[in-house]
Amino acid sequence: MPQDEMPQLTAGMESTAPPSSQLAPRAAYIHVPFCAHRCGYCNFTVVANRQDLIPAYLDALATELACISGSHEVDTLFFGGGTPSQLALKPMEQLFSIVREAFPLASDGELSVEVNPVDLTPEKAKLLATAGVTRISLGAQSFNAGVLRTLERDHTGDDIRRAVNLARTFARSVSLDLIFATPDQTIGAWERELAAVLELEPDHVSTYGLTYERGTSFWSRLNKSELNEINEETQRQMYLLAIERLAAGGLEHYEISNFARSGHRCRHNEGYWSGDEYFAAGPGAARHIAGERSTNHRSTLTWIKRLRAGQSPITERETLLAHDKARETLVLGLRRIEGIDQREFQRKTGFTASELLGNSLNQWLRLRLVVFDGGRIRLTRNGMLLSDQMWSEVLRI
Amino acid sequence: MPKPSDCHYIRNFSIVAHIDHGKSTLADRLLERTGAVTARESREQLLDDMQLERERGITIKARAVALRHVHNGQEYELNLIDTPGHVDFHYEVSRSLACCEGALLLVDAFQGVEAQTVANAYAALENNLEMIPVVNKIDLTHARVDEVLEEMESSLALAAEDAILCSAKTGVGTDELLEAIIERIPPPAGDANAPLQAMVFDSHYDEFRGAITYVRLMNGTIHKGQKVQFLKTGMTMDVLELGQFSPGRTPCQELRAGQVGYLICNIKSISDVHIGDTISTPGPDHGTPLEGYKPPKRMVYCGLYPADGENFEELRDALHKLSINDPSFEFQPETSDALGFGFRCGFLGLLHMEIIQQRLEREADLDLVQTAPNVTYEIATRHGGTLYITNPQDVPDTGDIEEFRQPIVQTSFVLTSDCIGPVMQLCHERRGVYLRTEYLSPTRALLVFDLPLAEVIYDMHDRLKSITRGYGTMDYELKGYFPADLVRMDILVGGKRVDALSIICHREDAERRGRAVVKKLRTEIDRHMFEVALQAAIGGRIIARETISAIRKNVTAKCYGGDISRKRKLWAKQREGKKRMKSVGNVDIPQKAFLAVLDTGQDQKS
Ligand SMILES: Nc1nc2c(ncn2[C@@H]2O[C@H](COP(=O)(O)OP(=O)(O)OP(=O)(O)O)[C@@H](O)[C@H]2O)c(=O)[nH]1
Ligand code: SF4
Ligand SMILES: [Mg+2]
Repeated sequence: MPQDEMPQLTAGMESTAPPSSQLAPRAAYIHVPFCAHRCGYCNFTVVANRQDLIPAYLDALATELACISGSHEVDTLFFGGGTPSQLALKPMEQLFSIVREAFPLASDGELSVEVNPVDLTPEKAKLLATAGVTRISLGAQSFNAGVLRTLERDHTGDDIRRAVNLARTFARSVSLDLIFATPDQTIGAWERELAAVLELEPDHVSTYGLTYERGTSFWSRLNKSELNEINEETQRQMYLLAIERLAAGGLEHYEISNFARSGHRCRHNEGYWSGDEYFAAGPGAARHIAGERSTNHRSTLTWIKRLRAGQSPITERETLLAHDKARETLVLGLRRIEGIDQREFQRKTGFTASELLGNSLNQWLRLRLVVFDGGRIRLTRNGMLLSDQMWSEVLRI
Repeated sequence: MPKPSDCHYIRNFSIVAHIDHGKSTLADRLLERTGAVTARESREQLLDDMQLERERGITIKARAVALRHVHNGQEYELNLIDTPGHVDFHYEVSRSLACCEGALLLVDAFQGVEAQTVANAYAALENNLEMIPVVNKIDLTHARVDEVLEEMESSLALAAEDAILCSAKTGVGTDELLEAIIERIPPPAGDANAPLQAMVFDSHYDEFRGAITYVRLMNGTIHKGQKVQFLKTGMTMDVLELGQFSPGRTPCQELRAGQVGYLICNIKSISDVHIGDTISTPGPDHGTPLEGYKPPKRMVYCGLYPADGENFEELRDALHKLSINDPSFEFQPETSDALGFGFRCGFLGLLHMEIIQQRLEREADLDLVQTAPNVTYEIATRHGGTLYITNPQDVPDTGDIEEFRQPIVQTSFVLTSDCIGPVMQLCHERRGVYLRTEYLSPTRALLVFDLPLAEVIYDMHDRLKSITRGYGTMDYELKGYFPADLVRMDILVGGKRVDALSIICHREDAERRGRAVVKKLRTEIDRHMFEVALQAAIGGRIIARETISAIRKNVTAKCYGGDISRKRKLWAKQREGKKRMKSVGNVDIPQKAFLAVLDTGQDQKS
C-alpha cells in the first residue's frame, strides 16, 4: 500500500499490512512478554518481574497495531508469551480491546491464550470468557513437585488440576504443555506424568523434550555439569512413550509434538505448518505477510522505544525465493503426521517433493524415515525422531 | 693501486649455524659496521625481509649482500651470504657455500654445538672452505664460552684459539671478526680476463623486472648491455642491468671474476632460470659449464584440494604464482574419488609445507583440504620397471611389487648424555639403525642413526624435544632409498575406500596405526542418521574397525511462527559447514579428518 494512503503512519515507520492486491492473512499472533520470573531453561522473549512496563507495552502495542491500517477479520487469534495471564484484570481487558479492534474474530474463530496455572483466578476466568476466549493453553510442564522445582515453575500439580477445571467452564478446548527429559528424569517418572495428564482428560497436549539453549542458566549449568542431561536413548523412549500413551488416551498425534482429541486441534498452529500467512505484534513477534517473513526486535524495551520514536520495530526481514519457500513449506508440512499431499504441494509451490529433496529422498526412503502413502508423503516414527537432522540434509542440495 | 674489484681485495663468505644461533643478527652488525646501512635504517634481522620470515623470526631464503670495508687503508669487497638454519632449507646453505671461499660457523654461547652446527660444518669442509669458528651471544648471563669452545674442538676439530668471541646483540667482537674475514679467508681465485663462467646460485621473481638471476663469477667479466648465454638452456640474452645487493639492488657497469651480484635479462619466467646453470658468452669460445648443484629434493608430498570444488582454477593460479617465487616447491594436478580435483604438491619438508599452505590461504584466500603428508617411495615392479610414488594411492597391488623402497636419512641428534638411552630407544622403536655416538664434552653427545624418513618427519622432533626437555636437536640428510617391508593401508568409511586416506606404513605397524586412524576418525566424523563403519584394511583384510553409532533422536520439539526463520537460519549455517565437508557415499567427512592418518598410535603403544 503506497505511503500516501496511510496518513496515520509516522515518518520512518513501515506498514506491516499486506499490499491491497493480495489476500490479507486470516491469523494473528500477539506476544505478551511478561513473566514473574525467568525460568532456567527459557530463552523466549520475556521480561521477568517488570510489571511496571505493562502500560508502556500496551501503548506500544496500540501504536504497532495502528500501523496495520484498518481492521482485519481473522479466523485465529493467539496470545502467547511470556505469560499473557500475568496481566491484571484491567490491563488484560485493555489488551483484548486493543487487539480485537485491529483483528476482529470471525464468528467461528479460535481465540487462544497461554495461561500460567496459578494465574487463573475465577475473576480472570470470567474476563477471558467475556473476551470470547475459546482455547486455553496451560503451561503445566509437569505434575511432579521435584521437576517443577527444577524447572523453576511457581505452580503445583493441584494448581494445574484446578486451572483445568476452571478453564473447562468457559473454553471450548483446554490444552496442556508438558516437558519431558528434564534433568535426571526416569522413564518411570515420565510414565506417571503421562498418566496424570490423561486423568485430567485434556482436549489437547503439546509435549517437548527439554532443550538446553545457549544463553539460559540451564545451558551454563549443563556445561558446568550441575545438570544432568538425559541420554539420547532415554529421550527417544520418552518421546515414543508419549505417542503411545496419549494415543491410547484418545489424543490423536497430529504434529510432531502435538496431540488432540477429535475437533480440538489448534487451528492457529496448523496454519503455521501449512505455510499460511499471519499478522503478529509485540516484542520478538514474527509475522509472515505478502511473502515476507519479518521479526520484531526481541528486547521489550527496544521494541517500546522504537515504537515511541515512530520507528519500525522490525529488525529482520526476508523474502524467500520460490525454491527456498517451497522447501520451507515441505519441511513444515512434514511435521504434520498426515504429511503432505504431493499433488496439492506441487500446485501450491510449483515444485515436486522429489525435485526439492533430490538424493536425500532416496536415502530417507532407504532408511525408512519417510514413506509414500497413497498420494501423500509422510514421516515414519523414526523420521519424526530424526526430523531436525533430516532438514539440515535437505538444505545440502 | 689495484681496483677494489680485483680478486685480491674480495672476500666471499657465508654465515652458517644451527637455527636461531644469531646469523641474521650478526649480519645486521656487519652491515652497520661497514656502513651498508646506517643505524637509523637498521632493524633487527634486516635481511629477513619476507613477511613470513619476520612473523616466524627465522630465515627462509638465503640473502647475499656486498659490503665495502677499509682495512689497513685498503678497501675490500666483502660478499656476505646469510643462510637459513632450518633443516628444510639446508639446500640453500649448500648453494651458498659453493659461491664462497670462507664460512663463519656460529655457535650460540649458551646452547653450544647443535645438530645443524655439525651438518653445516661438514658442508663447509666438503666445499674446502676456510672456516672461522664464532662463538656468538657471549653477552648471555648463562654463556658457557669455554665449554662451547671445547665442544667445537672435540666434535669439529676447530681450534679454540682460532675462534672469535662476539655478541651480535651488543656488537662486541665485530671488528675482530671483520679482521679475521679479511686476514684468514682467501681471496677468490679467478681470472677476469678468462672466458666467462658465472654460477647461477639463486633467483627471484620481480613483478616489474621479471627473473632476477643471482650469480657468482668464477672467471671472466660481464658488462652491462652484453649478450650472455645460459649454457644449460642455451638461452641467449642481453644483460639489461647488473649489480650487487647492498643490501638493495645497486646497479653497476660490470661484474668481474670473484664477485657476487645479480643480472636482469628480461626473462619473463623464473622457470627459465636454472639454479646451478652456468652463464657464459654465446659463440664457440664460451667457458665450460661448472659443476652446478643437484636440484633440491622434495622430501614430503601432500594433496591440496579446494574445499569448494568450484575453486580448482583459482587454486591452480595461486600455486603457479607461488612456484614462480619458490621453485623448490612443485605441484601436479591429481584427482581423488573423495576430494575431487586438486594437486599433489612436493615440499622440502614439513615447515616448507606449512609455509606454502599459509601463503596460499593468506594470499589467495582459499579454503583448502589437505591430505596427510607422506614421503616418497620407490617400487621395483615385477615387470622390471621402477615407480616413484608420491601418493599412496598409486601403490600397485602387492602381486606387482618386487621391492618396496623407502627413503632412509642419516639422522644426528645432539643431546645431553643422560638422554642417550631414551633417544636410542625411540630410534629403535622407529626401526633405526645405530651408527655411532661421539662425545662433544663430558656431558653432551652426538648420536647418529639411520632412520626411515617417514619416521623422522612426522613427530620425531616433538618427541625429541619432550624427551630432552627442549634441549635436544636433530638434523638429517638423505642417504638413499632402501627396501623395507611396506604396505599400503586403506581406510574404508561406510564400506567405501577413501583414497585420500590411504597411507604407506611398515607391515608390523599397520595394525597399530590402523587402530589409531579409525579411532581418530571416529572423533572427527559426526554421527549420521545411520551407523557408519570405519575400517582399516590391507588388501582385502580388515585390520581395525570402529563404528560411529547412528543418531537416535534429533528433534527440538517446538516449531511455531517465530521459530521458522530461526530454524531455517540454523539449517543454512549447518549447510555452510557441510559445504566444506567431503562426502563419500552418504558420509560427510570434515576437512580435518583427512589428517587423521597422521595419528601413529605411538602413545597407545608405550
Ligand atoms: N643475547 C643475544 N641474543 C642474540 C644474539 N644474536 C642473536 N640473538 C637473538 O637470537 C635470536 C635468533 O637470532 P637470528 O639472528 O634470527 O638467528 P638466525 O641464526 O638468523 O636464525 P635462522 O635464520 O632462523 O636460522 C633472536 O631473538 C636474536 O635477537 C646475541 O649475540 N646475544
Ligand atoms: S513462564 Fe514460560 S515464558 Fe515465562 S520464563 Fe518461564 S518458560 Fe519462559
Ligand atoms: Mg636468520
